[in-house]
Amino acid sequence: MSRTAAAAKPVRIPRRTPTRTPGPAERRGASRRLGGPLAGVPWVLPALLFVGVLLIYSFFRSIYGSFFEDNGFTRHYVGLDNYTRLAQDPIFGQSVLNTALWVAGTLLLPVFTGLLIAVATHNMRFGNVAQLVIVLPFVISGASTAVLWKFILTTEGALNGVLSTVGLDSWTQSWLLEWPQNTLSMIVASTWQGTGINVVLFAVGLRAIPRDTVEAAQLDGATGWRMFRYITLPQLRPMTVVVVGMAIVNSLKAFDMIWILTQGGPARSSETLALTMYREAFRLFHVGYGSAVALVLSVIVVASSWMYLRRQMPDTRAEGSR
Amino acid sequence: MGRATRNLFVGVCVVLWLAPLYLLAVNVLTPAGAYSGSPDWSPQGFALWENLSTAWNEAKIGSGVGSSMTYALVCGAVAVFVAAMASFAVVVLPIPKPAFWFWLIYSGTLFPVQMFLGPLFGMYADFNLYDTRLGLMLVYVAWNIPFAFFLIRNQLTTMPPEVTEAAMLDGASFRRIFWRIHLPLLAPSLGAAFIFQFSAVWNDLLFGITLSRSSDVQPVMATLAALDSAYAATGPPVILAGALIVSLPTLLLFLMFRGVFLRGVASSVR
Repeated sequence: MSRTAAAAKPVRIPRRTPTRTPGPAERRGASRRLGGPLAGVPWVLPALLFVGVLLIYSFFRSIYGSFFEDNGFTRHYVGLDNYTRLAQDPIFGQSVLNTALWVAGTLLLPVFTGLLIAVATHNMRFGNVAQLVIVLPFVISGASTAVLWKFILTTEGALNGVLSTVGLDSWTQSWLLEWPQNTLSMIVASTWQGTGINVVLFAVGLRAIPRDTVEAAQLDGATGWRMFRYITLPQLRPMTVVVVGMAIVNSLKAFDMIWILTQGGPARSSETLALTMYREAFRLFHVGYGSAVALVLSVIVVASSWMYLRRQMPDTRAEGSR
Repeated sequence: MGRATRNLFVGVCVVLWLAPLYLLAVNVLTPAGAYSGSPDWSPQGFALWENLSTAWNEAKIGSGVGSSMTYALVCGAVAVFVAAMASFAVVVLPIPKPAFWFWLIYSGTLFPVQMFLGPLFGMYADFNLYDTRLGLMLVYVAWNIPFAFFLIRNQLTTMPPEVTEAAMLDGASFRRIFWRIHLPLLAPSLGAAFIFQFSAVWNDLLFGITLSRSSDVQPVMATLAALDSAYAATGPPVILAGALIVSLPTLLLFLMFRGVFLRGVASSVR
C-alpha cells in the first residue's frame, strides 16, 4: 500500500536555502569547514547507492534484458522478438484482459462501496466503530487475507456451505476453478481487504467540508440525493482523485492475493501481468520474456497514473481545495 | 438515504466484513485432527494453543516470524535513517540541482516490483547473495528508501530555514545540526515512515519467494504461502492459525498508532 505514493506528486514548496550574512561564524571559516556547494553529496550518497544499484540499475538492466532470449544460463540478442511473441501469445492476451478486469473491478467496487460506507457512517452513532471494523482487513497482509479467502472460496469452502444451507444449491460452484468466476471472486476478496482505507480517506474528506456550505445548501432546500450530488460529491473531489489514483496503481500490481488463491490457474486463466511476469521469469526461466512483460506492465502503470493525475490535478488546484 | 435504510446498510456491511474474521476465529479453534472437511460456523472444541504451536513449530512459521521481525525492524530503521540523511541533503544543504536528486531517489517507487526482480536475481546469483539474509535485507532497505524519503522530505520542506541558519551562526557543523536539530524535529514523519516500512517489509511476499528458498532465510509471508500449498497435509485450522500469527504484528501496530498511520496515508496520497 505504501507504494501508492507513485500516484501522488511531491508537495511543492519553494526551497529556501539558508543564507548566511557575513558574521562571526563566517570569519571563523565556517564556510570552509562546512564545504562548498558539494557539501550535501556525502549525505545523499547512501540513499543513491542503495536506490541506484539495486533499483535504478535493475530497472535499466531489465529493459536491456528484454531484448535477449535468456534462459538463465545462455542468452543471445533477439531484438524485439520477445515483444512480437508477447503480442501473439494467447496467455498474454488473457493476462491483459484479467489485468483490465482487476483495474475496472477494484475501481468500481472498493471506491464506490467505500464512498457509500463513508457517507453512511458520517455523523452516525457508532459510525467510528463500523469504520474501524471495515478498515481492519486493510492492515493484515495480502497473504493472510488470501489464505482466509481460500478457505471461503474453495469448492468445499464456507461460501458454498452457506449457499447450500440456505437452499441455494444451484448457486454453488467451483469459484476458483473457472474463468471468469475466479478473477471476479478474487476481486471481491480484494474489495473486502481494500475498501477500509477508502472509507477512512473519504471520511477525512467529509469532515473537511465546511459547515457553512452544508447549511447554505440546506437553506436553499437541498436534501438527500440533491445534497449528495451537488454539495458532498464536488467537495469530495480532491479525495476522490487520490483514492482512484491509488486504486489504479494498486490493482495493476495485484500479486499476493492471486498467487496464493489460484497461482494464476487453472491453466493460467486467472493470471494478471504481474503474475505472468513472475511465472515466465522464475518458473519457466524465460528471463528475457519476463522482462518484456514487466516493461509492458511498467509502461501501463506509469502512463495510466500520469495521464490520470495530469487530467485531475489542475482541476483540484483550481477549486482551491488545498 | 433514510435513517433506517442507512442503519440497515451499515449493519449489513459490518456483518459482511466481520463474517470472514469470525470464520477465522471459529475454525482456528477446531482441533486439526477433528476438522470435518468443511468449515465450521460454531466452535468445535478449543485447540487454539495446539494449532498455534503446530503452525509455529512444525510448519516453521516461528522461524519465518523471527526472520521477518529482523528484516522489518532493521530494514525499516536503516531505510528511514538513510532517507532522513538524503532529505536533509536535498532540502537543507547546499547541493546543486536538488530537484534532480529528489526525482532520482523517488523514482524507485514509480515502477512495479516486477521490473527489478529479474536483474536482482541475476546479480544476487553472481555475488552469492541469493538465499541469504543479507541479500534480502539489502533489497528491503533499497525498496523502502524512496517512500520514506518522500514522507520525510515533505515534513522537512515545511520547516523554517531560520532554524538551520541560527545553528550555523552558532558554528554548529552539519552533522551536529542534523543530529541535534533536524532528527528530533522530524520525529513525527520518521515515526510514520518507520511504521509504513515495517508493515511493507513484514507483508512482502514477492521478494521473499523470488530471492530466497531456505526456510531459515525466507520471510514469514513466503512461509505462509508454502504452508498453504501443503493444504492437505497440515489441515486448514493450522493454516488459519498461521495466518492469524502473521497478522498480529501489523494489526497491533495499527491499533496502537492509528493516528500516525492514517495521517501518514493521508499525507502520502495528497
